[in-house]
Amino acid sequence: MNVLFHLLIMSGIYIILALSLNLLLGYAGLFSVGHGAFYGIGAYTAAILATKLGFPFWGEILAAACVAGFFGFLIGFPTLRLRGDYLALATFGFAVILYSVFNNWDALTRGPLGIRGIPRVAFLGLEFKDLWSYAILVGIFVFITIFCIRRFTRSAFGKVLEAIREDDIAALAIGKNIARFKVLAFIISAFFAGVAGVLYAHYVTFIDPASFVIQESFLIFSMVIFGGMGSIGGSVLGAAILVILPEALRYLGLPSAIAANMRQMIFGGLIVFIINWRPEGLLGKSKL
Amino acid sequence: MFVQLIINSVIAGSIYTLLALGFTIIYGTLNFFNMAHGIAYALGAYFSYVFRIKLGLALPLAFSLSALVTALTMVGVDRIAYHHLRTRRAPSWALVVSSIGVAIFIESFLSLFFGSDTRSLRLGEATPGYSFFGAIITPVQIWILVVSGILMILLTIYLKMTLMGKALRATSNDPEMSSIVGIHTESIYRSTFALGSALAAIAGSLVALETDVYPTMGHAALLQSIVASIIGGVGNVPGAVFGSFFLGFAENFGIWKMSASWKDGIALILLILFILIRPAISGMEQKK
Repeated sequence: MNVLFHLLIMSGIYIILALSLNLLLGYAGLFSVGHGAFYGIGAYTAAILATKLGFPFWGEILAAACVAGFFGFLIGFPTLRLRGDYLALATFGFAVILYSVFNNWDALTRGPLGIRGIPRVAFLGLEFKDLWSYAILVGIFVFITIFCIRRFTRSAFGKVLEAIREDDIAALAIGKNIARFKVLAFIISAFFAGVAGVLYAHYVTFIDPASFVIQESFLIFSMVIFGGMGSIGGSVLGAAILVILPEALRYLGLPSAIAANMRQMIFGGLIVFIINWRPEGLLGKSKL
Repeated sequence: MFVQLIINSVIAGSIYTLLALGFTIIYGTLNFFNMAHGIAYALGAYFSYVFRIKLGLALPLAFSLSALVTALTMVGVDRIAYHHLRTRRAPSWALVVSSIGVAIFIESFLSLFFGSDTRSLRLGEATPGYSFFGAIITPVQIWILVVSGILMILLTIYLKMTLMGKALRATSNDPEMSSIVGIHTESIYRSTFALGSALAAIAGSLVALETDVYPTMGHAALLQSIVASIIGGVGNVPGAVFGSFFLGFAENFGIWKMSASWKDGIALILLILFILIRPAISGMEQKK
């Protein structure tokens, strides 16, 4: 039973991550591969606020998401002029630099030792100590995220993002401030990734830089590609499948080291397969 | 100390040159950032390990075979992961994504097959270094300098003087025009891939003589090839050589005053700086 709740919680966290990245990849056409960085910022901010300053949960999640959003601005703004693969390189570099910072800034992040003893969530007089109650809390955040992303993408804002993706010069010509929209997309996307980071930090109660390596970013990325870019249902499905599928490998009786590598091989193979033969993913619409 | 730093920088620069030359000619002809370039480096080291330690071949033979096998592997990868996208004229970011998939797949395969523990190409005791103006240089480092120097000269001759090299440059200039005048561009793409990967494989084998062989060794190599090529302007061969030595000096003189664990951080900060600033300086062309 506990395994089920664990899977639900992890799927929920990755669904939030995949949805937020999908806003960039699928809707704005901004090719960011360093999404794990915002996730890490959210988790570290939450861990530091909770263990050192004793923030309440609601204040902490708001603060951490805003810090992540601010980093979204820091990355989104200078990279405005970059397109396609150059943006990918810049975001890739950003994610590795942040990993380096997590790993080396001992005074703040305690380096490779990580931060221990992040308290369980207590919120509105409720304590989310059990797995099932935490799963419900994560579920609530998943629904909030789905709701917000849906609202964003169906609003005029989302339509402008799609217009920028399809033809940025045409969007500019009809008087849309494309720079502002792109930066805003980055901020919103990073904000939700930060929320996912907070939920993760409070779930595992111990975070270290190893949780935010570049492979983590690639994993989130492959969830979006697998589910289909520009599809909310696709991101939900893609994240859930890619979280649950590797767990199934464990039940085949493989040793954990082999299972972990098999899992990575499946991810890698899947990315190559999808991008070559089914670029629209499971549920997406966009064709290459 | 100063002389030692210069020697270390030059040696690092030579290794980066081998990496960056491969990366840059692949970018120049195939027009995408090959995120699986670090994998060619790791594969090269592993194949050298197999040929040298497991089969007991002589070092030069082991290295040449390793370069050859890596090149063939990468041509196979090209057929599976990139050929289809190329014929469909997919945008370059799709190729980048596909190469990320390739990198994840092969890296986890290496770790599954060889285990994640480190291996070494060294046989017996480490040989003592020579003293040189108060600095120490090991025989392996001298080999690195000699081999990479020879390869740089050979590559220049190949690109400038042979018919194949001219066809390669023509294809990278204008693939459509080249195929009109009768150049078989597909085979140029394949041979460029083979050549670039073979250079990376030799770099990996040389480094493995001094340090260890492990599945994730390609990460740093990928980073270094990206940064060195970006500094010199991607697709630009002399630029790649300059960028490599620039990076070598920046890293080694950077860690003079800082902790060595920030080495990757220095490379990444250079990457972001050059991506953001360089187009403004030199009008670097960004291909869509």
